[in-house]
Amino acid sequence: MAVEPGWYLLLSAAVFCIGLFGVLVRRNALVFLMSIELMINAANINLVAFALVYGNITGQTFVLFLIALAAAEVAVGIGIILALNRNFESIDVTDAVTMRW
Amino acid sequence: MLGTHPLASSISIPIVPGIGGAEVTALFPLVTFVLILAFGRYLPFKGAFPGIVATGLGFLVALATVVEIAGGAGPRHETLHTLVAGVSGEGVTLTFGVLIDPLSALMLTIVGLISLLVHLFSLGYMNAEGEIDLPRYYAALSLFTFSMMAFVLSDNLLMSFVFFELVGLCSYLLIGFWYREPGPASAAKKAFLVTRFGDYFFLIGVVAVLGTFGTAQFASYAPGVEASFVEIATDALEHGETGEMRTFLGLGERAWITAIGLLVLGGAVGKSAQFPLHTWLPDAMEGPTPVSALIHAATMVAAGVFLIARMYGFYALSPTALAVIALVGGFTAFFAATMALVKQELKQVLAYSTISQYGYMMLALGGGGYVAAVFHLTTHAIFKALLFLGAGAVIIAMHHEENMWEMGGLKDEMRTTYLTFLAGSLALAGIFPFAGFWSKDEVLFETLVHALGGGAPVLFVAYALGLLAVILTAFYTFRMVLLTFHGDPRTDTAEDPHSITLSMKVPLVVLGVLSVVAGVLNMGVFKGFLPENALFLERWLDGATMGEQFRESSLTAEHYHHVLTHDFGAGYSSGYAGLGEGNLALVGGVVALVLALIPAAVAWRLYGGAEPDPHMMNLGRIRTVLMNNYYQDEYQVWLARGFTLPIATLANKFDQGIIDGLVDGSGGVSLFAGGRFRQIQTGVATTYAALLVLGLLILIAVFAVTGGWI
Amino acid sequence: MLIELLLAVTFASAVWVFLAADETAPKLAAWLSLLPLAIALYMWTQFDASGNALLSGSTVGFETQVEWFQLGQYTLQYHVGVDGLSFPLVILVTVLTTLAIVSSWTPIDERQSQFYGLMLLIETALLGVFTALDFFLWFIFWEAVLIPMYFLIAVWGGPRRKYAGTKFLLYTNLGSLVMFVGLFMLVLGLGDSLTQLSLPAIAQALAAGELSETVFGLGGTELRAVAFLLLFLGFAVKVPIVPFHTWLPDAHVQAPSPVSVILAGVLLKMGTYALLRFNFTMLSDIATSSPAAEIIAAVGVISVIYGAMLALAQRDLKRIVAYSSISSMGYVIVGLVAFTPHGMSGATFQMVSHGLISGLLFMSVGVLYNATHTRMVGDMAGLAERMPITAWIFVAGSFAYMGLPLMSGFVAEVLIFVGAFDSAVVSGAPLFTAVAMFGIVIVAGYLLWAMQRAIFGSFELETDYEVERAPLHDVAPLAVLLGLIILLGVQPDLIYEAIQDAIGPVLELNAVVPDWTVPFTGGEI
Repeated sequence: MAVEPGWYLLLSAAVFCIGLFGVLVRRNALVFLMSIELMINAANINLVAFALVYGNITGQTFVLFLIALAAAEVAVGIGIILALNRNFESIDVTDAVTMRW
Repeated sequence: MLGTHPLASSISIPIVPGIGGAEVTALFPLVTFVLILAFGRYLPFKGAFPGIVATGLGFLVALATVVEIAGGAGPRHETLHTLVAGVSGEGVTLTFGVLIDPLSALMLTIVGLISLLVHLFSLGYMNAEGEIDLPRYYAALSLFTFSMMAFVLSDNLLMSFVFFELVGLCSYLLIGFWYREPGPASAAKKAFLVTRFGDYFFLIGVVAVLGTFGTAQFASYAPGVEASFVEIATDALEHGETGEMRTFLGLGERAWITAIGLLVLGGAVGKSAQFPLHTWLPDAMEGPTPVSALIHAATMVAAGVFLIARMYGFYALSPTALAVIALVGGFTAFFAATMALVKQELKQVLAYSTISQYGYMMLALGGGGYVAAVFHLTTHAIFKALLFLGAGAVIIAMHHEENMWEMGGLKDEMRTTYLTFLAGSLALAGIFPFAGFWSKDEVLFETLVHALGGGAPVLFVAYALGLLAVILTAFYTFRMVLLTFHGDPRTDTAEDPHSITLSMKVPLVVLGVLSVVAGVLNMGVFKGFLPENALFLERWLDGATMGEQFRESSLTAEHYHHVLTHDFGAGYSSGYAGLGEGNLALVGGVVALVLALIPAAVAWRLYGGAEPDPHMMNLGRIRTVLMNNYYQDEYQVWLARGFTLPIATLANKFDQGIIDGLVDGSGGVSLFAGGRFRQIQTGVATTYAALLVLGLLILIAVFAVTGGWI
Repeated sequence: MLIELLLAVTFASAVWVFLAADETAPKLAAWLSLLPLAIALYMWTQFDASGNALLSGSTVGFETQVEWFQLGQYTLQYHVGVDGLSFPLVILVTVLTTLAIVSSWTPIDERQSQFYGLMLLIETALLGVFTALDFFLWFIFWEAVLIPMYFLIAVWGGPRRKYAGTKFLLYTNLGSLVMFVGLFMLVLGLGDSLTQLSLPAIAQALAAGELSETVFGLGGTELRAVAFLLLFLGFAVKVPIVPFHTWLPDAHVQAPSPVSVILAGVLLKMGTYALLRFNFTMLSDIATSSPAAEIIAAVGVISVIYGAMLALAQRDLKRIVAYSSISSMGYVIVGLVAFTPHGMSGATFQMVSHGLISGLLFMSVGVLYNATHTRMVGDMAGLAERMPITAWIFVAGSFAYMGLPLMSGFVAEVLIFVGAFDSAVVSGAPLFTAVAMFGIVIVAGYLLWAMQRAIFGSFELETDYEVERAPLHDVAPLAVLLGLIILLGVQPDLIYEAIQDAIGPVLELNAVVPDWTVPFTGGEI
C-alpha cells in the first residue's frame, strides 16, 4: 500500500526538528555534528519521498550526492572538533568564543 | 618729446642717463641688493661700498633728471612692464611704468641724496662699531632705497601700492635689524602691522579706482594711455552728466570720489604716521639710527604724503576729503608736539617731531597748499635727516646712551655735530632764515588764506592747531638742544665722549649747509616783495621750465589750484583779510616767528643753565599722560590682545567644540551604535544557529502573511 | 600622447620605487620624479591649447579620446587633455612632488620605499585628476588620490595619525559620494540625448539646455539647483569651505611635512578646480543667479575671515598654516563667484600661487621641525640665529602669504579683489570684497606674531643636542619655491594669459561683463 506523502513530510519535519533541537541546546561539538547529520537526513527523506511520488529518479540521485557530502562534512567537522580540542582542551562549543566582537 | 637743454647735455656723462633712463636710479640699488644678498660677506665694507656707489650714481641720475627738466625736457611717462594684460578689453591691465615730472624728479633727488648720506654715515655708525650681520643691513638698505625710488617713479596707483608695501617690508627688516633683542623684533612687527592696517584701506582704494575708472594711471602722457583716473574723475565732475561715471554702492559721483580719496588716505595716514595710526613710529626708534634718518626723512614716512601729493588733482575734487586731511594733519601736528615736550630720550623727541611735521604737510595738502606741502616735505627731509644723523653721532659719542638727562655739555667736545645739529634744530623750530621757517610758514599761510576765503570752518580749527604746534615745536626743540649740548656734562661719558669718524661728519656738514639755505627754494613770506619768478619751487611744480605738454596737463600746481578754486572741485577761494596777499604773507611769517621765539626764550630760561632742573616733572599727571602717549599704544595693544585675540580664542573653541564636535560626534554615534550591535556576535555557535532559525521563522511568517496563507 | 607618457612614467616610477630597497628609494624617487617634471615642462613649450576644454570652440591640448567600454547607453571613454585651467595645475603637481620628495629625505627614516612609492602614486592620481576629461575616468583618479594619502598620513604621521587619516578619508569620501549623486542627477536628467560621460559632452549638453527628464521628481531649473547644491557641498569638503574644514588642521598637523606640502599644495586645489569645472562652468546659470551668488560669496568671505581668526588662536606653526589655507581658499571662492575676468582667472591663479606659498611654508616648518623637534611657537625662539637661511626663507614665505607685492600671492589677491569688486552677479560685491580684504590684516597679525616669537629674539630651545643649520637638500627645495613665487609675482602672465584664455568662454556662458569703461569726453581739464 502506498503511504501518503504527507507522512513522509511529517517524518522529515520531525527528524529535522530533533536535529535542530540538538544544535540549539547541546554544547558538545560531537552531538552538534550528529544533529547536523540528522538534519541532512531529514532533507534526504524528503528527496527520496518525492522521487517516489513523482516517479522521478533525480531526487534519489541527489540523495546519493548528499550522503557523500555528509560523509565529507563529517570528516571536516571531526577535523574541526579535533582542532577545537587541541586549542581549548574541550569540545564545548560555547568555550570557543575568541572570535567574537 | 625729450628736448635737451644745452646745459643738461653738457652735464650728462654717459653713465648718467638723466630723464630718459631715470628708472636706473632705482635699478642701481636693486642690483646692489642682489649683489649683497649673494656675496655680502666678501664685498668691501660688508656691502657698504656697493651701496654707496649705487645710491651715489642714483643721486647723480636724479640730479641729471632735474637738470634736464630745468632745461625743458620731460615729462616722461612710459609703461615698462606689463604685469597682467587684460584679454581684449575685458578687465583692467596691471602695469609698471615710470612717470617723471617735476614732483617725482624732486623727490627722487631727495631720496637719492638722503640715502647716499645715510649709507656714508652708516660706515661710521655700523661698521666702525663692529656690528655683526652687516651684509643684511646693507642689503635691506639697498632694497629700501630701491622700493622708495620705484614708489616715487610709479606711474599708476597700483604700482604705488606695490612699492608702498615693499617700503613697509624694508622698514620691518631694518627696524628689526637687531632682532636678537626683544624690543626691535616687537617694534618691527608693530610698524608693519599698523601700517598694514592703513594699507588695507589703501588697497580697497586701489581696487575701487580700478573698478571705477578701469585705469589707475596718474598721467596720460604715455602712448596708449587715454586718460588718467584723475582726469576721468575731473572730467566727470566738470563736464560729465550725472550717471556717466561708474559708482558703487549707490553713491553719487562726488561722494564716491570722496570715498575713494578717503580710502587711499588710509594708507597715507598709516605710513605718514598720522593720528590714529602714528603709534608705530616712536617704537621704530629701536632700529639703527641711520635707518631712522632714512625712514623719517625720505622714505617710509614721506611715502604717505608723497602719495597724496602725487594724486592731488583727485583730492582737489573733494572738499570733504580735503577737510579730513587738513583736520587730521592739524590735529596730528599739535597732538604729537605735546608728547614731544616731555620725552627724555633724544630719538623719542625727534620721533614725535616727525609725526608733528608730517602733520603740517597733511595740513598743507588739506588746506589747499600743494606747493607748501611739497616744500615742507623737501626741507623737512633735509633737516630731519640731519637731526637724526646728528642724534646718531651723539649716541655713538655717548656709547649708545640716549637719555638727554645723561648728556649735557657736548657742544665743546663735538663742535661739528653741535653746529650742524643746531642748524637742523633752528630749521625745525622755524627760526628765520633756516629752511623750516619758510616751508612751515607757507603751510600755515595757505591754510589761513583758504580758511579766510570762506572754506570749511574746519580749516580754521586746523590752522589754529598748526599755530599752537609752532609754539610747542620751538619749545621742545630748544629743550632738546639745551639738554644735549649745553650746561655741564651730567655723566662721565658726556665728559669724555667717543669721537666720531669723518664718514659721519661729512653727511652732517652737507645737510647742515642745506638746512641753512634750502629756504631759498620758495621764499613765500616775501612773495609780495620779490619778483614773481623768485618762487622757484612753485615755478618748478608748475612746470614753468617745461614744454607746453606738461604746462597744460593735469599734473601742474596751477591745474590743482584751478580745480581747488572751482565749484566742480573743492570750491576753495582765497581771502586776505583786507591785507593783500603779500602783506598777509609777511604778517603771517612775523607772527609765526614770534610764536617760535617766545617759547625758545622760555626754554632757554628753563634749561639754559649749567645744571637744568627737570621742569617737566612739575606737570604732574599731565606729564604721566604725555609720557604714556595718551595711552594710544595701550588701546591699540588692547585692540589686538584684549579684543581680537579673545574673539579668535572663542572662535577656536567654537570650531573645536561645535563644528569639529559635530564631525567627531557623527563618528562617535556610529562607533557607539556599532559597539552595541556587534555584541550580537557572541562567538557561540548556538546563538548563531538560533538567530538563523529565528530569521527563517520570521521569513516564513512574512511569506505567510504576504502570500495570503493566513 | 604626452599625457599618457606622463601618467605611465609616473606610475612606472611608483612601481619601481615600491620594489626598490629602502636605502636607495629616496634618491631614486627624486631622480625618477624629475621625469614627469621634465615631460610637463616640455609640454609647456608645446602647449597650444585655446579656450576652455569643456566648452565648444576650444582646442584641447594633447587630447586623446578612445572608447573604453559600454555601460548601458553610455560609452565610457579614455579621454584626457589639458587647457589653460588644468595645465598650470599639472605643472604645479610635478614641481611640488619633486620638491616634496627631496624634502622628505631628512624626516622619513623608515619604510622609505613604500613612502616614496606612495608619493609617486599620488602624483599619478593627481595628474590624472587634472588631465581626465571623461567623468568616469576622472572619478577613478579623484578617488585614487585618497588611498595613498590615507596611508601617508596614517603610517608616517604624528601621534594621532590614525585618527587624522581616518577622518580625512571618511570625510572626503563622503563629499565624493554627495558630489557623485549630484552629477548623476544631471546625467539622468539629460536622458537619452547623452550617450557618453565625457565632461565636455555633459557641459555642452547642459549649455544647450538639453536637461529634459525629471529625476526624483525634479526637473529643469530645480534639478539644476539641487545638483548644484550637491556638487557644491561635495567639493566644499575638499576645498575646504567653512564649516566643512575640520579635517584639514588635523590632517596637516599629523601628516609629515612633505605630505602636508602635497595636501595643501595640490589636494585642496582639486576641490576648487572641480568647483570651477562643474559648478561654475556646467551650472553657471545657477552660480550667477541670486541669491546663490550672494550666499556663495558670503560663504567665501566667512571662510576668509573665520579661517584667519582661527589661525590667530593657534600655537602650532603647522596649525597656523593649515588654518591660513582655509582662509586663502576662501579668496578663491570669492574670486570664482564674482564671474568677472579677473575674478575667476585670479582665483585660478591663486590656486597655483597658494600651492607654491603654502608648500613653501609647510616645507620650511618641516625643516625647522627636523632640527628643533617642536612646532610650538612658545617653545622656540631666535631660530634666525641658528638656522639663518631656513629662518629667513620662512620669513619670506610668511610675507608671501601676507600678499607682499612682487610675490605671486599679491598678484592673485589683487586680481581676485579687482574682479570681485566689479562683480555684476553678486549684489553688494564691493562690501563683500572689502570685508574679505580684511583677511590681509589678520594674516599679517598672526604671521608677524609667529615670526617674532619663533624666528627672532635670542636663541632659546631646550634640547640635548646642538641645533644646527639644515642640510642643503632641505634648503634647496625652499629656495626653488621662493624663486618660483617671486617669478610668478613679477611675471604672472607666464601662466595668467593661458588661464584668462580658458576662463573667457566660461564668462561668455552667462556673464554680464561689467562695463567699466568710463566715457571720457576729452574736454578741457
